[in-house]
Amino acid sequence: MEKVSSLSELGFAHDIHHALFRPIQQAAPPSPTNRQTKISVIGAGNVGMAIAQTILTHNLADELALVDAKPDMLRGEMLDLQHAAAFLPHTKIVASPDYSVTANSDLCIITAGARQLPGETRLNLLQRNLALFKHIVPPVAKYSPGTLLVVVSNPVDVLTYIAWKLSGFPPNRVIGSGTNLDSSRFRFLLADHLEVNAQDVQAYMVGEHGDSSVALWSSISVGGVPILSQLTDEKALIEQGVLEKIRKAVVESAYEVIRLKGYTSWAIGYSVASLARSLLRDQRRVHPISLLAKGFYGIPDDCEVYLSLPAQLGRSGVLGVASIQLTEEETARLRRSAHTLWELQQQLEL
Amino acid sequence: MKKVSSLSELGFADDIHRTLFRPLQQAAPPSPTKRNTKISVVGAGNVGMAIAQTILTQDLTDELALVDAKPDKLRGEMLDLQHAAAFLPRTRILASPDYAVTANSDICIITAGARQIPGETRLDLLQRNLALFKEIVPPLAKYSPGALLLVVSNPVDVLTYIAWKLSGFPPNRIIGSGTNLDSSRFRFLLADHLEVNAQDVQAYMVGEHGDSSVALWSSISVGGVPILSQLNNDKALIEQGVLEKIRKAVVESAYEVIRLKGYTSWAIGYSVASLARSLLRDQHRIHPVSLLAKGFYGIPDDREVFLSLPAQLGRSGILSVANIQLTEEEAGRLRRSAHTLWELQQKLDL
Repeated sequence: MEKVSSLSELGFAHDIHHALFRPIQQAAPPSPTNRQTKISVIGAGNVGMAIAQTILTHNLADELALVDAKPDMLRGEMLDLQHAAAFLPHTKIVASPDYSVTANSDLCIITAGARQLPGETRLNLLQRNLALFKHIVPPVAKYSPGTLLVVVSNPVDVLTYIAWKLSGFPPNRVIGSGTNLDSSRFRFLLADHLEVNAQDVQAYMVGEHGDSSVALWSSISVGGVPILSQLTDEKALIEQGVLEKIRKAVVESAYEVIRLKGYTSWAIGYSVASLARSLLRDQRRVHPISLLAKGFYGIPDDCEVYLSLPAQLGRSGVLGVASIQLTEEETARLRRSAHTLWELQQQLEL
Repeated sequence: MKKVSSLSELGFADDIHRTLFRPLQQAAPPSPTKRNTKISVVGAGNVGMAIAQTILTQDLTDELALVDAKPDKLRGEMLDLQHAAAFLPRTRILASPDYAVTANSDICIITAGARQIPGETRLDLLQRNLALFKEIVPPLAKYSPGALLLVVSNPVDVLTYIAWKLSGFPPNRIIGSGTNLDSSRFRFLLADHLEVNAQDVQAYMVGEHGDSSVALWSSISVGGVPILSQLNNDKALIEQGVLEKIRKAVVESAYEVIRLKGYTSWAIGYSVASLARSLLRDQHRIHPVSLLAKGFYGIPDDREVFLSLPAQLGRSGILSVANIQLTEEEAGRLRRSAHTLWELQQKLDL
């Protein structure tokens, strides 16, 4: 059975559209200012497809483009989404291994990346992903010179820095998914324990998306109420390092999911779709995401590192970085996080 | 790092909830008529998880229970959904290999099933799935005696019949996903060709979900306008058997996706979530689903077969079967479809 992507190929009623629908007289083409929203997702693996599908369900784009190096898998994924047409608002879905399919995107999301081999150093993994990004970022930037770029591939902070360098874009247009999801996991644990809705728990994890992330305990609030003062045995908690154990549990929870089901997909899908909505609909919401952090929170002006800070997002990307009161300990941890990332970047051959 | 599912395990502030929130005086517990909706999904594979995730995104239920024989994979999937708490309305998500977790469900969705081994006959596959359903259906029915049962596993028509027999439920509470998705694929191809929104294309595929499915060409309408007269004016269409080629393309398209990406997931996820919404929210919408077809469209009263017909769905399951005018050819094909399924059922050791 030959592959059928359209009824024309099967000889179906070529001019039936004219028989069914007639335009009004003297109709003009759409106004040139009329613009459709287009999102491109690079990488049609578990993460990329969970992001694409959530974006589709939330009706965030008029056009969705998928890019992957594996053409068969890519085509299969595209068809699987298209077949749901009766259950979704109409979205144009295109897919190709060729980056020209991403032209004129409002938002490009990069999920492609090599996975860490057992025993491989982080630097080695980074070098391999740098080589991959050299294939991905320049054509994406070329075909959509005005786009917002969101990097999801890990290690996300350094890869977002790399994407920024390779794209030549201003830094407000290049962000990484960073600790947006870590913060959700953090809020889930707290909300579950406190029996409240996670959306009523304001709690940020910032810094590196990884081992040196920083939990901002001093600025957690629940239903608008700061909670640190409410912890009756606060000293005991700190002495037992409970807070640090919780932070580690959040960092570890991603690895736990990978150990159990082989990869993570659903949570990162929702996380990135949430970023896409804030950006494209100019929502001005605050999200902890990976951005060019130099000059903030005591990070030196000449330290060009990307790490997560709470930032206001809108149609032009990062509108601003929130100014949160940090304790001395939190500030120090953040600077150590920046330093770790800076050292890693220095070793790259960019 | 030990597995952490709650902050209590880490020694975090056990009585903090009472410090943060205080109930009103003389508050009463919720009214006993107040009910949370609960959906259970049996099988946490690609299909089950796409269904679960779409149901979650569309906020269709208060509680979601997942069951699978593989406890690690199941736990990983549950955590991956829970971690998205900050981005979703609050839904209670549970998972266990023990069917007790499904107790008091409003809808139970069965996606578990053996896949066809190369060279295996359809009857052999059916016998293996019959054995599996003997383990699945009785506990589901026991724990949720009032539930609606929705079968997705293939071959769906006979497995829905089997689920009916094993559950002891009245036939209006047993539904197979049937040709709901085939119809969406059919509508997608037509809509794409006609440059209209798929939701404006009314087009049913009925009968067996498989090779002997029936495309109801005579009742297709676009924007409310029947198009068969337009098609019948096209002699070339009829002479070249184009309509039959299109039907086969729809049947084939599932196999194409499986060949390309290894399985299908997204489209069936949307399809089943759409059924869940019509059922739970008593929408009285018409969907082509697999139901007990005896006595309809010339199928004899003693023919206890399940196959897809356009049916009105609501809170009590199948409310009615739509009375559509079929051509003689369509009625003939439908009866042949019923006969094929009947023959297959006779060979089972139920």
